Amino acid sequence: MTATHDPTIPPPRRLKPWNAVEKGLARVGITGRMLVLIAPLIWLLVFFLVPLAVVFGISLANKQFGRPPYTPLLTSEEGTVQLTLHLNNYIRLFTDNLYVAAYLSSIRIAAIATIITLLVGYPMAYAIARAPDRWRNILLMLVVLPFFTSFLLRVYALTGFMRGNGVINQFLGLFGIEPIVMMQTDFAVYVGIVYTYLPFMILPLYTTLVKLDVSLFEASADLGARPIHTFLFVTLPLSLPGIIAGSMLVFIPAIGEFVIPSLLGGPETLMIGRVLWDEFFSATNWPRASAVAVAMLLVVVVPIMLLQRAQGAVVEK
Amino acid sequence: MAKKPQQLAIDTRPWRDTANNKPFVRIKNVSKKFGDIIAVHEVSLDIYKSELFCLLGGSGSGKSTLLRMLAGFETPTSGTIEIDGQDMTEVPPYNRPVNMMFQSYALFPHMSVEQNIAYGLKRDGLPRAEIAARVNELLVLVKLQDYGKRKPHQLSGGQRQRVALARALAKRPKLLLLDEPLGALDKKLREETQFELVKIQEQLGVTFIVVTHDQEEAMTLATRIGVMNQGEIAMIGEPTDIYEFPNSRFVANFIGSANMVEGVVSEDEPDHVRIRSSELGCDIYVGHGVDCAPEQRLWWAIRPEKMVLSREQPAGLHGANVATGIVEEIAYLGDISVYQIALESGKRLRVSQTNSVRGNPDAITWDETVYVTWDEDAGSVLTS
Repeated sequence: MTATHDPTIPPPRRLKPWNAVEKGLARVGITGRMLVLIAPLIWLLVFFLVPLAVVFGISLANKQFGRPPYTPLLTSEEGTVQLTLHLNNYIRLFTDNLYVAAYLSSIRIAAIATIITLLVGYPMAYAIARAPDRWRNILLMLVVLPFFTSFLLRVYALTGFMRGNGVINQFLGLFGIEPIVMMQTDFAVYVGIVYTYLPFMILPLYTTLVKLDVSLFEASADLGARPIHTFLFVTLPLSLPGIIAGSMLVFIPAIGEFVIPSLLGGPETLMIGRVLWDEFFSATNWPRASAVAVAMLLVVVVPIMLLQRAQGAVVEK
Repeated sequence: MAKKPQQLAIDTRPWRDTANNKPFVRIKNVSKKFGDIIAVHEVSLDIYKSELFCLLGGSGSGKSTLLRMLAGFETPTSGTIEIDGQDMTEVPPYNRPVNMMFQSYALFPHMSVEQNIAYGLKRDGLPRAEIAARVNELLVLVKLQDYGKRKPHQLSGGQRQRVALARALAKRPKLLLLDEPLGALDKKLREETQFELVKIQEQLGVTFIVVTHDQEEAMTLATRIGVMNQGEIAMIGEPTDIYEFPNSRFVANFIGSANMVEGVVSEDEPDHVRIRSSELGCDIYVGHGVDCAPEQRLWWAIRPEKMVLSREQPAGLHGANVATGIVEEIAYLGDISVYQIALESGKRLRVSQTNSVRGNPDAITWDETVYVTWDEDAGSVLTS
């Protein structure tokens, strides 16, 4: 046996510059583990919960001219503090057809775009997962590559492809095909969402697919399943967690998407992100805009919770 | 646990009578290359109905590749594979009358035990009631009646192994391929399962081809063994043939332990051969003719249990077959003791002796000078 050092010589004392800090914190009952947990909690509190509370507060105010452009919630008059909550912004969301239509339209567009992204992304993720090892990282890199360019620029570049005298129409023109109107349509919005959110679909799908044991596919084939059946009964069910995760990552941001519909969509492309923008900046109606934002949060949070529950059920299996 | 010979009628050892028996699986000159690497090289092999054939070899010997070609997961680079008289070389796995039990079991994790077993039957479009009946039958066969509703991750290793076996048997395949079927089980469970496997194989009469690296497993299971080395078949034979009559130095060393001695032929007669071995420090007298030439250099292999130790010099045979040396090591294994004898040439022989006397005070011990002797047919003469 070879000892690393002679046991009779005490190991050199390590200098611990944090010792004093650690002891001080321990005196007030804070351990290192707590610190690690507290840091993200503080972050969430300051940058998420507090702003959310502010938005929620504004949504219960009324529009007024001046600064800030909304009525205060708390007023004090002769020692009486009065809390005024205006619910009319929320009531308006239901009574004015515009908002309901915008929510439904956003969900519809986001849902259709998610399905298209899934249909496009699944084969790509599958191909990457089954590619030879040396290709896999290169292919993954290519998937992530668009992120190196600004999102705004990429969406703007799409207009160059799809506009009346854009690349696609010029190419079609070579064959004598009349230019197709693509810009300012829902089609362009779908193209934009699918294009920008594709990596968010591919990456979670890839991670589930690459983990699947190849011998499962072989076992399926061995038991008489044609490739299509192996896909339907083995690959697809086992990649469900990836499908759910990828769809969530695409669907949720797509609902509130503002840049893509305003750059690529037409006037009839109704999405809640644009309504929100108009309320804030065109109508300067902060309380209404805040109410729209809070309602949007609910629209997004509910499907997340449902999907997470579904995912939990799948994982449990 | 291989079949007792007396249980076998003559016709159940069809490989002994190749003229009148048609092989069930016929592998002809099959080679498989992965890029520049030759995984399987010119293998020809006939396997008969109801055999339990073991492909035995170390890692990288090509045994698994050969099995995967039988299942259809790999296509041979050249050569043909016939199963039951039909050419299967280009047939995809889902159209072969063959099922495989995977080393990892490859149970579908999202399906219950019942669904796993029913999977192949459903693909064949059998009626529901028939599938249910067959699944039940198989659960009884592998003694998992109460586990049908469980998911694979709720089962122990041994139970998973049995589900995998049931699933592979569900479609009544003509040929069942087993890739290291007992590899993931612990020793005790493995011994029990070996027995079960042979019982099920006999009961159903299915032809089994088992791939294993464990020679003990091959010896206990197989009716015949194919020893593979570097993509080629080194020897095919019944377990006793492989052990007692190895055809090459590789087989002799790979199966069991063997003392290998180099020598030169000094007498080459039709009824006996004499080999001069400077390593042994004596001549070897072999009591049968060998296909060799005088002065040819060859090898002679002998199993440790085929030799006898003694303190007094034995008579020997025709002035041969007696070596002498000093006891260097003793490994006491309970039933037997293995002695390592250092000969004068520096060569070491391993000799095992049965411990038939309890706590024998007169047992041969360290540093004693002893004589080693053996019978005229105890060893194998190997020319390759």
